[in-house]
Amino acid sequence: MSLLVNSNTIGAGAEEARGHSGGGALREIYDVNAQVVSVAVVPGEVYRAKLVAPEIARSARPLQFVNVEVSQGPHPFLRRPFSLSWFSAAEGLIEITWAVVGEGSKIMTQWETGTEVRVLGPLGNGFSLKDIKGEALQNADRPRLWLVGGGTGLLPMYPLAKEAASQGWEVALFYGARSMAQVMDTSRFVKAGCRVIVATEDGTYGSRGRVTDLLEPVIPELGHEDVIVACGPVPMLRSVKNLMALSAAPLYVSLESRMACGTGLCKGCAVRAAGDEEKYYHVCSDGPVFRADQVELGGAP
Amino acid sequence: MGHTDLSLDFAGIKMKNPIAAASGVFGYGEEYSRIGDIRAFGAVSVKGTTLKPRAGNPPPRVAETPAGMLNSIGLENPGAKVAAEEKIPWLRQFGVPIIVNISADTYEEFSELGTIFKDVEGVSALEVNVSCPNVRAGGMAFGLDPRSCYRAAKAVKDAFGGTVIVKLSPNAADITAVARAAVEGGADALSLINTLLGMAIDIRSRKPLLGNITGGLSGPAIKPVALRCVYQVAQAVTVPIMGMGGIRSWEDVVEFMLAGASAVAVGASLLVDPLLPERLTRELAGYCAREGIGNPGELVGAAWR
Repeated sequence: MSLLVNSNTIGAGAEEARGHSGGGALREIYDVNAQVVSVAVVPGEVYRAKLVAPEIARSARPLQFVNVEVSQGPHPFLRRPFSLSWFSAAEGLIEITWAVVGEGSKIMTQWETGTEVRVLGPLGNGFSLKDIKGEALQNADRPRLWLVGGGTGLLPMYPLAKEAASQGWEVALFYGARSMAQVMDTSRFVKAGCRVIVATEDGTYGSRGRVTDLLEPVIPELGHEDVIVACGPVPMLRSVKNLMALSAAPLYVSLESRMACGTGLCKGCAVRAAGDEEKYYHVCSDGPVFRADQVELGGAP
Repeated sequence: MGHTDLSLDFAGIKMKNPIAAASGVFGYGEEYSRIGDIRAFGAVSVKGTTLKPRAGNPPPRVAETPAGMLNSIGLENPGAKVAAEEKIPWLRQFGVPIIVNISADTYEEFSELGTIFKDVEGVSALEVNVSCPNVRAGGMAFGLDPRSCYRAAKAVKDAFGGTVIVKLSPNAADITAVARAAVEGGADALSLINTLLGMAIDIRSRKPLLGNITGGLSGPAIKPVALRCVYQVAQAVTVPIMGMGGIRSWEDVVEFMLAGASAVAVGASLLVDPLLPERLTRELAGYCAREGIGNPGELVGAAWR
């Protein structure tokens, strides 16, 4: 099973849906037969494909994901969750970007123009600036969005960066990768008006260190006009959460998880809720985006 | 070729087609209603419900395996009270027969659950889960031993009064003995199979992959086992059987019917293909029409009759 590459929210969509009693008439999630219109290997050792999925593109929010069929046979059995690295309602297209990490992602490298695959989406709460407008940002002259991306955690943040920049937010991206070979193209972030700062663990690209080393120096200046959204491996998210512990700025994390359905049916992608009570959220339906203080990310407090 | 009628009376449950949602892949329907039409199912079995709410097992809870998956969800559910007062009344609006899957640690709890759901409008049947491999106490223990299964079935039947289905475990040494005990205890129907106990190990961390260490195996990988169980049990009892285990095509449905199942349920495959019931119903009808079968009930048990 693959890892969900990220997304989420604050649940507005899902809650509304639950309150809806139309009895099956309302279909917020679409299972579409999507045709691949382009697929390529792009910098960072990842594959990128655009697919025709108008229903999904039309209703998608930043940091949502899709569950993609990789085989019509009985194996590999499960679909693979991927965040939307780009989507366009106008063009009716969605884009997913993936690194080859296992059986499913490897099969997907055989896609070519014209390949048809079933895609279920849009999934998860996603995250939109509308979700956070209530948090003292209302009165900010120029609210600032700080994106913290580790590895492929960079991918789902582009739609959010674009949305924020287009609404007059000041947007900065801190992006960390292992080495130059894994550094993905960030030019679309730059083009959207986003400041991009990169670090690699071995110093072969950008500054040497981790993404948290980039974030740390700016934390003292973060306040009520700032929002931080982080996506990446759990140890990275844990570090960001710890660094931000005393900051007034809200931190949101987008989680990955082993997943089966992606829709809340199976309750498989559990993440422990913060606090003493034994309680779990589900990454696919309550997330993938959570307020950092909602979830237990493990390790020392 | 005449008109094909897919409807059936399954131990008193009026199903308009023989395709049900298996417990554990459908929740109480809310999530599904965002994806597909609940009315596509002939019946739905809701998430395994316990007397008190359960948070479920620690993650990871799922792992993919060859042609299938392991799960150790651990019966995460809001408890009988919320199910009875909120979940079932909501689900009732779709007019699809509701089977409430119940799980307990003791016979007394089973009895109490029977009493609670006895008065809930819209509950077509209780499905007694004596086969969940993911909870420590109770769960599968009731389904491995004929005597315990008899007592669990009887406790629910006596309290509930209505249609009782007992869901059997393939992990029993002799599933036919357990099946007969369930019927003796008052089961009006049987459903089989629940998942097979299994595990996976992460070779990098060198530890079990699931948070609960072991889990239940489901998906196409278990279909031959499920089919064998249905084939054997169908010949050992006279009550109707709901067959399940790896069903993902109309051919699978037909196979289960030939083995002796009157109805079938889709489980893990619904997680992969949420619109599966609509397709199965359509394709089953197509098959029956091609073969001149008036009602798929004609197929039931044909493999051994």
